[in-house]
Amino acid sequence: MDNSLQRVKLSVHPSRALVDEEFVILVQNVPPGSPMTLHALHCSEDGHRWEACGHYIADSSGSINAADDCSVGGSYLGVEPMGLLWSLKPVPGSKPGLRMRKKDVQTPMVVAISVFNGHHSEAFVDQVSLASWVVERWYMAPGVRRIPVTEQQLTGTLFLPPGPGPFPGLLDLWGGGGQLVEYRSALLASHGIASLALDYLTNEFTTQTGKMVDNQYFETAYRVLQQHPQVLGSRIAMLGLSLGSVFTLKMAVYSPVVKLRCAVCISGSHIQPVSGGPQEMMDLFTRNIEKINFSEQNEVIWRSLLLPVPSDPSMKADVGRLRCPLLLVVGEDDQNWCTQESAADMEQMMARAGNDHLLTILSYPETGHLIEPPYTPHTPSSMYRGAGVDQKMMVLWGGKTPEHSAAQEDSWRKILTFLKKNLYGGSDPQAIHRSHL
Amino acid sequence: MRWESSTRPAPLLTATPVRTLVDEQTCIKASFLPSNHPVTVCARMRSDEGDLWQSFAHYNTNSSGMFNLNSDHSVGGSYSGCEPMGLFWSMQPAPGEREGLRLRKKCVESPYTVQISLLEGHVSPNQDPGKEVAAVTAERWYMSPGVKRQEIRQNGLVGTLFIPPGPGPFPAMLDMWGMGGGLPEYRSSLFASRGYASFCLAYVGHKDLPGPSNTVNVGDSYFKAAFQFLQEHSQISADRIGIVGLSYGCYLTLHTGTLPGVKPACLIGINGPVGSSRELLHVNVTTKKSDQDQVFWSFDDQGYIIFKQTSLPSNLHPESIVKLEEITCPLMYIVGEDDLSASSIENADLIEKTLRAAGKSHLFTRLSYPGAGHLIEPPYSPMSRASFWVIKPEKLMTLWGGHPAPHAAAQEDAWRKMLAFMELSLRR
Repeated sequence: MDNSLQRVKLSVHPSRALVDEEFVILVQNVPPGSPMTLHALHCSEDGHRWEACGHYIADSSGSINAADDCSVGGSYLGVEPMGLLWSLKPVPGSKPGLRMRKKDVQTPMVVAISVFNGHHSEAFVDQVSLASWVVERWYMAPGVRRIPVTEQQLTGTLFLPPGPGPFPGLLDLWGGGGQLVEYRSALLASHGIASLALDYLTNEFTTQTGKMVDNQYFETAYRVLQQHPQVLGSRIAMLGLSLGSVFTLKMAVYSPVVKLRCAVCISGSHIQPVSGGPQEMMDLFTRNIEKINFSEQNEVIWRSLLLPVPSDPSMKADVGRLRCPLLLVVGEDDQNWCTQESAADMEQMMARAGNDHLLTILSYPETGHLIEPPYTPHTPSSMYRGAGVDQKMMVLWGGKTPEHSAAQEDSWRKILTFLKKNLYGGSDPQAIHRSHL
Repeated sequence: MRWESSTRPAPLLTATPVRTLVDEQTCIKASFLPSNHPVTVCARMRSDEGDLWQSFAHYNTNSSGMFNLNSDHSVGGSYSGCEPMGLFWSMQPAPGEREGLRLRKKCVESPYTVQISLLEGHVSPNQDPGKEVAAVTAERWYMSPGVKRQEIRQNGLVGTLFIPPGPGPFPAMLDMWGMGGGLPEYRSSLFASRGYASFCLAYVGHKDLPGPSNTVNVGDSYFKAAFQFLQEHSQISADRIGIVGLSYGCYLTLHTGTLPGVKPACLIGINGPVGSSRELLHVNVTTKKSDQDQVFWSFDDQGYIIFKQTSLPSNLHPESIVKLEEITCPLMYIVGEDDLSASSIENADLIEKTLRAAGKSHLFTRLSYPGAGHLIEPPYSPMSRASFWVIKPEKLMTLWGGHPAPHAAAQEDAWRKMLAFMELSLRR
């Protein structure tokens, strides 16, 4: 190796971090002005390789700091400290339509970060790096407890923060793909919120009987959370993405059992048969199936399925009746749900009812449907199988990677602030009464 | 509890980041507490041997019900003042634990798990524990992900090699400890986590070494072979190898560094002698002194051994004193001014004098720390002013010296300067 390059030093700190924490990549002892490529490689749990790269020019002191310096090429551009993670894409030759989702949250995501001489965008396997480092990205902080929940026919996993509690609680719902997706709950527990990830589509009961659960399933989950000795029953929130937001709003508005401190809906809608449950929602999709569109690449676009926004009050949750703060996260390029139209309609309904002071809308241009925790890859489209459906199809989610990634970072931070403010802060009406005793 | 309520969640206690290397800081904060309120923060962890170590400190929340160890002052407990890492370096064995302990990580591939708790009021966790109102768990690691650990038993060498991730070639350190023997790996694993290949070498008191375990049975050829092992390693740059040693390891560092054919790129000595002696080589200490033994160690009124005089330059075997004037590479010498185990100041003075006379002062860096003892180790770890030297045939404690706060400050500063010194000497 060229002698002048033997002294190159690469460091990434911290080398062990939570998935939503930033790191600093520093390259030193490089000949000033020389072109260098930063590269990230990750082998996912399902055996696929993902990579990203950034092109830099070393400064006059022979250093590159990804937090301050500009990438001028590769899979991300500009000053992007975390670009190597959020711009990860499957390596050329990979199966089409991949989506990265961590199944085992008790082990970290491992990423190899390297620096190469010159500007390269491909064939990294054939080259020897100048230096390399390994980082671990964790969904679970040490001390967080993972507790499977199977009582009362529920299929879920509860994540409890370390310590005696009591902790505020959260019911965490994902979308139409079903499965028990744990990683967001694990991360929330790492931030002090006892979070119950709930499978409501492919749960034990449904797989055994072939029947969907009804609305009581969510109320049962709420009760289980509320009655947990380490959860503060008066401070429970719900967070739903996509189809999960439908049931979040249904519970928040109509359930006599579920009393939420606040609610978060990501990429969702209030459009739903008010008196129905999951089965009725699926029937609604089936009835509107001809509203499916296709992109030029033959990807399925579902965003029109629930449009136009109905005026029939039995077909949308009456958010004018909400009594708790609501945070809506909207991707303006959402190709899967009519999130923007729904948010606009909800805003109107709440303005008319006079409770729009409870509403916060985060709306992000060029952002798609799958708004997830930050610094994880953006999936513009992927092979998707809806719960209970045999066939997989290529679905368009939307979004442009840089804007979508920025939206994930910004919205996550704001979601955490919103949750902490409402779940940890603020006064409780009963508390005032007690102090007068 | 006074301010517990069934309508409020427990306060939020955080450590950021929760997983760190041992030489990295973590910021401990709490929020959603009552304002202007006394609280106690407590840290607990178990050593590899299962002993419980702990510390605590008293803080007062501000008007927003928060406190932050990076900026607030401890008003009592195991340390006082503004000490972001105080909870870690002030830990001591809990009451009821075994006596004479020294904290040393045996298994460097697993972290220390530290439970940090929040208690209401200003309490002493031992006398009146009170109720834990919040907790966070921090992991303290001696190895970065991707660092490879290899046990080396070849050519008679006994040691462990740590290689950083990546293709290399890497600069390297030969790492040696004192007459306590064994094979402490934790400094080498941290060097590798900073990008330096590091080989910690056993030379006494290890089952894989030849001869009786209470004497040094290896000679010059052994230490030279260790250096050559690094030079010949395919992932190590032969011309960028340094040597570091604490206590007797410091003598070995200086001695090996001046052996014919050994050309280190830098030398680091910590609290050790420039020469050797029969007494220094003699590990077998008892309270009985035979008439024939001329020993320089002494006992204090508690019966603790003080080794300090043994390494006074005038007590060293003259022929063993390293020819410091022959050194051609930068040399850093670290002094704990309260070192009761070695005559560090006197040895540092001798090195300085010799190098000045040889016109080589520019090679010499001296770091000197008031209040620091003999065991200047990687930062943020607890210190022991005394610990067991031997337990058979009888239990004998030795006095290392040092006081917690200045010793902790010395470890932090010395480590940073050592790494900067290595960066300059081994990478430029």
